[in-house]
Amino acid sequence: MENKGVFSLLLDNLTQFLQYTGFANATWGHILMIAIGLVFIYLAIKKDWEPLLLVPIGFGIIIGNIPLFPGLSVGVYEEGSVLNILYQGVQQGWYPPLIFLGIGAMTDFSALISNPKLLLIGAAAQLGIFGAYAIALLLGFSASEAGAIGIIGGADGPTAIFLSSRLAPDLMGAIAVSAYSYMALVPVIQPPVMRLFTTNKERLIRMKPPRAVSQTEKKIFPIVGFLMTAFIVPSGLPLLGMLFFGNLLKESGVTRRLAETARGPLIDVITILIGVTVGCSTQADKFLQVKSVYIFALGALSFVIATAGGVLFVKLINIFLKDGNKINPLIGNAGVSAVPDSARVSNLIGLEYDKTNYLLMHAMGPNVAGVIGSAVAAGILLGFLS
Amino acid sequence: MKRILQIFLFSGLMLAGINLNAQSQADMCINEYLVINTSDFEDDFGQHNGWIELFNSSYGTVNIGGCYLTNDPGNLTKYIIPKGDVLTKIKPRQHILFWADNQPFRGTFHINFSLQESDEILFVASDGKTIIDRIKVRRDLDSNVSYGRLDDGIGTRDGSEGWQIMQRTSPSTNNTGVDKESASVIFKRVDPFGGIMAFTAMSVVFLALILLYIVFKYIGKYNIKKSRERTEQVHGKEVADKEEENSAEIYAAISTAMHLYSMDSESHDIENTILTIARVTKNYSPWSSKIYTLRESPKRK
Repeated sequence: MENKGVFSLLLDNLTQFLQYTGFANATWGHILMIAIGLVFIYLAIKKDWEPLLLVPIGFGIIIGNIPLFPGLSVGVYEEGSVLNILYQGVQQGWYPPLIFLGIGAMTDFSALISNPKLLLIGAAAQLGIFGAYAIALLLGFSASEAGAIGIIGGADGPTAIFLSSRLAPDLMGAIAVSAYSYMALVPVIQPPVMRLFTTNKERLIRMKPPRAVSQTEKKIFPIVGFLMTAFIVPSGLPLLGMLFFGNLLKESGVTRRLAETARGPLIDVITILIGVTVGCSTQADKFLQVKSVYIFALGALSFVIATAGGVLFVKLINIFLKDGNKINPLIGNAGVSAVPDSARVSNLIGLEYDKTNYLLMHAMGPNVAGVIGSAVAAGILLGFLS
Repeated sequence: MKRILQIFLFSGLMLAGINLNAQSQADMCINEYLVINTSDFEDDFGQHNGWIELFNSSYGTVNIGGCYLTNDPGNLTKYIIPKGDVLTKIKPRQHILFWADNQPFRGTFHINFSLQESDEILFVASDGKTIIDRIKVRRDLDSNVSYGRLDDGIGTRDGSEGWQIMQRTSPSTNNTGVDKESASVIFKRVDPFGGIMAFTAMSVVFLALILLYIVFKYIGKYNIKKSRERTEQVHGKEVADKEEENSAEIYAAISTAMHLYSMDSESHDIENTILTIARVTKNYSPWSSKIYTLRESPKRK
């Protein structure tokens, strides 16, 4: 009798334990999301596509989609869980400005300072944001959601997370994954658009070599740059402030240790946390929706529009420039702020047509201008729509 | 002299800190009041009484503990809002309600005068002297009809502008903003295709970056001019002309060549198994200074 009681207790406990396991709670959605996570990891390791982003995000997707018995306080959306605490940095939007601090501390703006008209390409490429915004409105998204989706076209993961956490927190997972995925896909998306809108003759344009930039100019840039952009768009303050502050740490010459921390350990730690937690946030029940499909489609479209906007704008200003001062339109794509991938794409496509025409340094100008431009655009959207 | 300056600076900072605290209390304002309450909302004792609503117009939490409410300009400290009550910390853009029932023993939010016997309501800072907000009490209000700001926190102190007789009382909540459309809804209604947004936002992005372009164009020109002047002074016009032709690419090439040379050759001083002795400079620091750590030597007279 007693033996039967023990056996029954054991059986009850085992049954209860089985109910807690992932096998008992798994759905097709979980399996699909885990497969997506594995694809991300495969692309990062095998194809070397943005491994620093895709490995944490891919593994985060797997972590976030382990089927859970609710109430164990371990899921990313369960208040007080470890993952939930780490996710606060994304939800409250304080990881992105810290990433910007690191970006500022590792960015050399001298290409931009030596040829400041390249700044305008960075502005033109923000067209992708507002193109996607308009299409998202037509698809039935609210203006806030459309703004958050549009920012994918800025090709700036931290900015996309920052803005979506403010304007459309429910869509943040899909927007963040979409933004980072397309940043990794810049070498695939941009070249056909660049070829489509340029002629053979334009692709061979050789640009004037940039002049040497003095250290004083480099020191002045973050201060003046911050004051001018922040006064115009104060709502972009967290991103702009940190970006230019990081750059001042780098260029001031007296805060080497701080700059090294910002561009080294700090940005690495935040990249790990942001990647894993954004990945975790893509739980199947929240992520697998028709809206997510739209977001991915609009994200791709916004990259195409941004690339076209940058290239066509260069062609436009070339009309007003004298021979010898003309800009190669192949650097127009670099106006999206995926640093330095889009500049690298400009260089590679340029070399395809002229083996000695290195466009990398020229393309870095619009590329870093794109970082400023997308932060400004995010500030405007935030100011208008929040 | 330096020490006096430091004391002044420190005192200034302290005063600024105190001032900041006062400034945050200054963000509070009287937002709405009801004089005669016969059938409107009841207080927590089930009684109908008049009330005064305060509003925190700032985006930071304000602690009003220690501030005063009064109906007598000659006695600014008539009712002290008790300190140490967590409920007196008013969250950003939030309201707090005081029942004007002349029964202060009922709790923090029951004050010691009623509005029917008052001509004016004054909200006073914790120093007991600074009047933060004051409003005349209207005598022509019907029962259960309140008087408040059209938009929370906006309007003059004397009630001449931005105030209105409220269509419905709204204690502890927004006066008229509750049913307002959000910016997002308005944008979607006014600009369904996103054209206005695209045009406006792109203009602002361009404006910001065009300004930067103009500033750095002229900073660059000035810098080139100054650099040329310096080179001309030291090396003459010919060298300056030549220098101007040099681009950043030339410097990059020279730097790369030097770097590669130092990597390849054995002349560099960072090598395995070789100890490199670098000179250590000892910079002065008050922490290491003997002047501050040792006693003065006794002097023989």
